[in-house]
Amino acid sequence: MSVIKSESRRQTFYMYLFISPWLVGFLIFALYPILSSLYYSFTDYDIIHPPRFIGLANYTEMFHNELFWRSVKVTLRYTFISVPVQLLLGLGFALLLHQTIPWRGFFRTAMYFPSMVSGVAMSLLWYWIFNPQIGLFNYMLSWFGIHGPAWLMNPDTALYALIIMSLWTAGSGMILFLAGLQGVPASLIEAANLDGAGRFRIFLNITLPMISPVLLFQLIMGLIDSFQVFTQAFVMTQGGPNYSTWFYVYNLYTSAFKEYRAGYSSALAWVLLIVVMLFTAVIMRLSRRYVHYEGGSSR
Amino acid sequence: MKNKMKSKRYALLLATALTVSAVLAGCGGGKSAGNVAAGDSGARNTGGSGEQVTISHYTIDSEDRTFIEKLIPDFEKAHPNIKVKVEKAPYEQFDSKLQTLIAGGNSPDVTSHYGYGGFAEYYNKDMLLDLTDLIQEDGFKAEDYHIPENLMKIYTVNGHTYGIPVNMYVTLMLYNKDMFNAAGVSYPPSDYEDKSWTFDRMVEDAKKMTLVSDDIAKTQYGVDFTWAERDMRPLYFGAEPYSEDTWTNGGVPSETHFDSPEVIAAYQKLFDLVFKEKVSPTSEWSKSVAGQNGDPFVAGKIGMSIGGSWNLAGANDFPFKIGVAAVPWGGNDKVRSTLFVDPLLILKDSKHPKEAFEWIKYLMTTEVQEKSIELSGGNPPVNTEAAEVYYKHFDGIDPEDVKKVYEGAVKYGYESYNHLITNYSQINDMFINELQPVETGHKTLKEVMPVIQKKVTEIIKR
Amino acid sequence: MSTVKATRPLDPSPRLRRRIKPVKIASFTALLVTTFLMLLPLFFMVSTSLKSKREMLKFPPTFLPESWALRNYVDIFETLQFGTLYKNSLIIAGFSVFGTLLSSALVAYGFARYRGRGNNFWFILLLSTMMLPYPAIMIPQFVLFSKMQWIDTFLPLIVPAFFGSAYNIFLLRQFFSTLPEELFDAGRIDGCGELRMWRTIALPLSAPALATVAIFAFIYSWNDLLTPVLYLSSSDKFTLPVGMASLTSSRFRIPPWHLLMVASVLAMVPIVTLFAIAQKQFVEGIVLTGIK
Repeated sequence: MSVIKSESRRQTFYMYLFISPWLVGFLIFALYPILSSLYYSFTDYDIIHPPRFIGLANYTEMFHNELFWRSVKVTLRYTFISVPVQLLLGLGFALLLHQTIPWRGFFRTAMYFPSMVSGVAMSLLWYWIFNPQIGLFNYMLSWFGIHGPAWLMNPDTALYALIIMSLWTAGSGMILFLAGLQGVPASLIEAANLDGAGRFRIFLNITLPMISPVLLFQLIMGLIDSFQVFTQAFVMTQGGPNYSTWFYVYNLYTSAFKEYRAGYSSALAWVLLIVVMLFTAVIMRLSRRYVHYEGGSSR
Repeated sequence: MKNKMKSKRYALLLATALTVSAVLAGCGGGKSAGNVAAGDSGARNTGGSGEQVTISHYTIDSEDRTFIEKLIPDFEKAHPNIKVKVEKAPYEQFDSKLQTLIAGGNSPDVTSHYGYGGFAEYYNKDMLLDLTDLIQEDGFKAEDYHIPENLMKIYTVNGHTYGIPVNMYVTLMLYNKDMFNAAGVSYPPSDYEDKSWTFDRMVEDAKKMTLVSDDIAKTQYGVDFTWAERDMRPLYFGAEPYSEDTWTNGGVPSETHFDSPEVIAAYQKLFDLVFKEKVSPTSEWSKSVAGQNGDPFVAGKIGMSIGGSWNLAGANDFPFKIGVAAVPWGGNDKVRSTLFVDPLLILKDSKHPKEAFEWIKYLMTTEVQEKSIELSGGNPPVNTEAAEVYYKHFDGIDPEDVKKVYEGAVKYGYESYNHLITNYSQINDMFINELQPVETGHKTLKEVMPVIQKKVTEIIKR
Repeated sequence: MSTVKATRPLDPSPRLRRRIKPVKIASFTALLVTTFLMLLPLFFMVSTSLKSKREMLKFPPTFLPESWALRNYVDIFETLQFGTLYKNSLIIAGFSVFGTLLSSALVAYGFARYRGRGNNFWFILLLSTMMLPYPAIMIPQFVLFSKMQWIDTFLPLIVPAFFGSAYNIFLLRQFFSTLPEELFDAGRIDGCGELRMWRTIALPLSAPALATVAIFAFIYSWNDLLTPVLYLSSSDKFTLPVGMASLTSSRFRIPPWHLLMVASVLAMVPIVTLFAIAQKQFVEGIVLTGIK
């Protein structure tokens, strides 16, 4: 009994020792901004004048706000398409490049390349690729006899153009999976192989469970990130055309810095936090059944 | 051995990290309390003269704005008690940084409305200092700085002055001489009093230069009519979308008329250029040719381009010859051009408004305004004396033409709505998004304008 | 520790290698095609960076530069104070990577290995800090740093990294959790202290993950625009993204896209170098896979 007690005390002690840098950082750097934004969300705050408490008015307003609902729809559609496709692509590339194959280092660097380019250069490039008149994308579609749409300039296709764009950065997912695949013991695979298991069986029964923690990480982070998509809309489409890329965080940003409504904007942020938290909690709970952690006792 | 050394190093690192965090925790709590006051007196006391103050001028981080840094040394020599610091942000972050600075108690002293919103937005948010008393105390007279009286009035609300005009862009016509020559069309006039120069004649000329081909390299259009911001365009044809009181009470219209037959007819005339006369490109084509914010005129694909005079700035790099002309008469006898007058503003939270005003006055002097044209690469001054230098700034364009176009624009110009109407960045965003289906021909103006009318009303009420 | 056996990961037996050959040919082809798509940006960037200002205005745009304007690579140093920007970015990114690696590895280990009281609570709190979008905390965070008198210093861009980044903590926690418990039991029996086990067992075994964190942290800091724009006000402290944004900031001038592309190409050099070094961790990194 006392052994168990002292063991749990030991675990607690070391846990806090190791996580202390983050705890301290959280208290110094994060706590005040987070609590402030929570407070602002209950106020009418135009940034210039001091905030004025108005209770839940910001929260009730958004449910009647047309742009709010539009931004929710745009963001959900983006998330539900781009997150799974990115995951699959990242995993696919990783599996391809985990083999011993010629030029492996080159391929890995090349795959990750688009994730290294940033900002304006990237948006200029994509603007040209999606150019309806001279763009590469429609040019390639024309090989298959398809007359491509105006992509970023068409409300029906702009969101999909941004989704296609996001797939170019599947390389970051790839390197995460590659790192995960390094942890799959070769001995296990060799053993299964000697037992006559096929590639697919080995993947499903050994590789996948072994990399499931990485998969879970990417799923959750993919969700958190894509619920917060902003830069593409800010730089490339300004939420348009006809609000078709009016993402949730774009709406939040314009509320704060174009409309001078930091209070309402903070309320939007907290609703997002709660929704993403719920999604994450559901995924975490479901994952318990499927995600395999080697160090069983620590979980 | 090696292992031990390594483990020592890691232990050391951890210790350092923890110490740093401990120290920071201490200093974070300790310094925060009295800090605002401390920072303040620090600024006051630099240099030991006891009276020296530092003012900050917030502007966009681009060469045509940051050139003011080069004017500082002379100013500081003349005003040993004032130091000027230029604070900058890229265009896209201009507003968010400004608001963050103000909220954080680090408000700049001098700025202009270079972000999304204009003067009216700053005025209605109560961000600006009323300069009336400063002006009186100082004995500042607009005519001493050769600022036309009607321009001073733009940023005066109910007798109170909130901004000193510094630069003035206007709407003018640029034309591609090579295209005119090829089509055998005579050049348009630069004289606003030439009565033959009308919208209809412009359309006729444009037809002769328009060439729509399957070969995208050959396609070209006669005219691109991007007169002012979208919501202001009806004014060109004499239709008024905002009620008269807008201009006297700080940009809050009591009524708007975006669904009135006159306004709809005016927009119809503009869209007819694209869909009926087919002398103007669709917005999709323009963006394809010129990129997101570019102008197809610079690619040599447009005969006449009605737009801001900032398009002149690149003139020396164009691979074709250009000329400037008056905006043709379109049915409004009073208004044919738009003025984009940028004022220098002092923010309400400025701690040194007097010194800030000294700096503004310095920037307005004829000598500095003249120097600024060269340093900025062609910013048009409001100072009418310095303007003479500006007219001569462009290679291959007759200074006389530039002068006529500018003077005509001042006579027949109206200040751009984006500076004058409250919550303008939202109105503009809404316009771009709601008009988009009309620009692509998917919806008609009759369907869209009532929606716009309703939304403008909502935005203005905020 | 001597009981740990080293093997190359997934080195298939000769018999297996023969059997999967067609698969490899297919993979190789698929990779070639995707690589072509992925390298398009590079081609586009380099080609644009070598065009003249006038050629940039042409429509339709040229595929390859007409006259190779190598001068652009000199001009960028005159247009922007490119050397200073580069140096500042390197300093900030260097400290950020170091700080992130050290602190995140410690914190992640704490979350992954110890079932202390409150583990779940703190972990959820850690995740939730990522769920609040940055614009929402921008202003209060500025107020905070301004009270600390950190405005116009590198501190707001560097110091937080030393207290762990939530993303990387989460990432490393996932990796540390996959390490076999037996290793640590063995370590404990050998009399290793906790910190020593972190260093001698967890860290080496997670080399690929740490390399990933280093790359992510570097790119994040290197490309960050908003934070330096908010916190830096003197031009001699500006970073590369700030300088690059200034090239396209004028609404009244035709942006020098060719110079922007020069800057973008040069800005990629450290990232590509870092990646080329780090990706070896996935190729040559010998992974300790179990106990005999």
